[in-house]
Amino acid sequence: MKGKLLITILLALALGITACGPKPTPAATPASEAETPAAAATTAPPAPPSETVTLTVIMEQVPDYDIVAQLTPQFEAENPNIKIKFDAMPYDAMRDKILTSFLAPQATYDIIIVDNPWMDEFAKAGFLTPLDEYIAATPGYDFNDFVGPVREIGVVDGKVYGVPYYNYALGMIVRQDLFDNPDYQAKYQAKYGKPLTVPTTLEDYVQVGQFFKEQGIYGAAMQPQRGYKVFEEWKNWLYAAGGDLMDAQGNVIIDNEAAQKALELYIEMYKTAAPPDSLNWGFDESLRSMAAGESATMISYNWMLPTLNKPGGPAGDLAGKFALYEVPGGKAVLGTWHWAIPHNTPNKDAAWMFVSWLTSKMVDKQRVIMGGAPTRVSVMTDTEVWEKGFGKGYYETVLKILEDAEPLARGPHAEEIINEVGTYLNSAVAGEMSVAQALKAAAEKTREISARP
Amino acid sequence: MHPLLHLKYRLLAPLVLVLGAVIGYPLAFSLWVSLHNYTLTAIGQAKLVGAANYLGLLANPSYWRAIGNTVTFVLVAVGLELILGFGLALLLHHRATPLRHLFRSLLLTPMFITPIAVGLMFRFLLNSQLGIIPQALKALGIHVDWFGSRLALFSLALIDVWQWTPFMLLLLLAGLEALPTEPFEAARVDGASGWNMVRYVTLPLMRPVILAAVVIRMLDAFKVYEYVYAITRGGPGESTETIQYHIYRVGFLYFRMGEAAAMAYTLIIVVLILVIILFYVLRRSAT
Repeated sequence: MKGKLLITILLALALGITACGPKPTPAATPASEAETPAAAATTAPPAPPSETVTLTVIMEQVPDYDIVAQLTPQFEAENPNIKIKFDAMPYDAMRDKILTSFLAPQATYDIIIVDNPWMDEFAKAGFLTPLDEYIAATPGYDFNDFVGPVREIGVVDGKVYGVPYYNYALGMIVRQDLFDNPDYQAKYQAKYGKPLTVPTTLEDYVQVGQFFKEQGIYGAAMQPQRGYKVFEEWKNWLYAAGGDLMDAQGNVIIDNEAAQKALELYIEMYKTAAPPDSLNWGFDESLRSMAAGESATMISYNWMLPTLNKPGGPAGDLAGKFALYEVPGGKAVLGTWHWAIPHNTPNKDAAWMFVSWLTSKMVDKQRVIMGGAPTRVSVMTDTEVWEKGFGKGYYETVLKILEDAEPLARGPHAEEIINEVGTYLNSAVAGEMSVAQALKAAAEKTREISARP
Repeated sequence: MHPLLHLKYRLLAPLVLVLGAVIGYPLAFSLWVSLHNYTLTAIGQAKLVGAANYLGLLANPSYWRAIGNTVTFVLVAVGLELILGFGLALLLHHRATPLRHLFRSLLLTPMFITPIAVGLMFRFLLNSQLGIIPQALKALGIHVDWFGSRLALFSLALIDVWQWTPFMLLLLLAGLEALPTEPFEAARVDGASGWNMVRYVTLPLMRPVILAAVVIRMLDAFKVYEYVYAITRGGPGESTETIQYHIYRVGFLYFRMGEAAAMAYTLIIVVLILVIILFYVLRRSAT
């Protein structure tokens, strides 16, 4: 009853907000727009455990995990009865381990991180604990401070199942020194009759790519690897061409004209401006190509920029010459990791204490200053973060990217749709299928997968 | 005494129980799973679907492509391993080969590396922009797109050849060293030498060893997964999607265990046929 009452209040509040506030983005759902702190007075925050509890946390072995691991002793010092044990592993090992933990009578993991294609699947299967009441009961948590599209991924059917950990939205990383080179600028002006600038449309992007190829440097280090990678990269092209995977009513539209244009231009770029024989490249090969000074641009995770610009980092002498921009067209593919609490852990309260501490404004700021990928607006607009982190320009661009971004795919079958569509896209780039054939097959497959219960 | 209580059955009982638990139960359970629409995210809703998962495979082009790719991979890889392995075994068996004990040790090293590491190693060694092999070939004026749609499966087979020819070599060399000397002496007296000796004496005598080695390698090659996973993820398109990788995708990425179990059972049938051949060969050579 209490839960239903809370949801009703939240819904009423949400409707009120959307009625008098700015127009919501298409991705926003009324319930998720709710100002959760309003209900804070109704529930008490969880009390610390009376006996020592050890929480096991599954993590992906990436630099963001190292930062969390460095911050955690602070939490343990503040909460002597809660110990944190991390189980860090490569991405590919995580999904089945998490699922096995869900299916066990008692969870192996008290806290998990959820990749955005898994969120609806896990939440709809009843594997995750709703966090609305916890959020409402946590003073000063300010859930709405997380950037809208990032926050939305953790909301399924009006309930919050995950709070943001870090983002991996895509942006365009370029060699700024090449774009600023007067010689290249003059040549480009002479050839195309317009100044050489970082492209904002697909047509310009292909043209700039081909121009750099003519100058002896590849125009774009692309990632057409089958499955996840090609879909992740190409969907930015799809947005730029005005397309999408599905329309607002949930109809599959991946075989429409916009998609055709996006794929034709993507293939043209691959054939005329990308490094040859890079059909199986993922983000690591692209990063190496950029770091080695072989390519002028790449569409990749926004936080690749600090990696490339790091003195003594992989780019060597080129460090400092890279810059981040929004992808052509502006709308980017959004990836996020969220913290979530499995339904079958007996330590939900303690788990929330850790998760809410780590994602609180104060600790999240520390995490971002240490190099973590940001998710909170207040952190990205904080002058201290600009000074101690990667500079004002970087965080402002990331905020712009995140505000106009959409997840790769949603729904309980997102993982399968991404992989299957990504197979057809790769076939088209490889020349095994025509653009029309590949998109038709991808659309049919997406419809078949979406129709499953 | 009840015949089942006879000492021999009692002695066998622990082993039978262990095998039943570790092999029989999983097999029976996966058969049950293959007959249900068993999805890991909705285990409580699993319903009996009979042979639907198996019949669904007939109309599943990805499954047949994966089977075709796997068979091609096995034939190319094991075929090349046999030719190279036999040639190397003959060389190392020949007493005139210099440093043959050193070469024997060196040649065996690839098979001690874990396959996933071999996959990652070749992913970069064969990378057109970053790899040393394409660079070396470029210096000779040769350009090869190792992971393009035409060559990718062949490249994976070559990696398998690099890693597992030593295994073939080991078995065949052991076979050669165990051969009786009399037929060779007799052939030499009759004037046979070189190729004739290999063709008419060595090969017929080695037939059971060769067959056993080929079947063992085929069984292993059917399991190819690591190279695909580390290098191509089944691409370009589906050109390197092997059956094990396909089963992994359907079962562990999409959680559709019923369908994955049905595929696994079809693979078991193929493997069982190979095992029967292996036993037949071994029994014949023993008699």
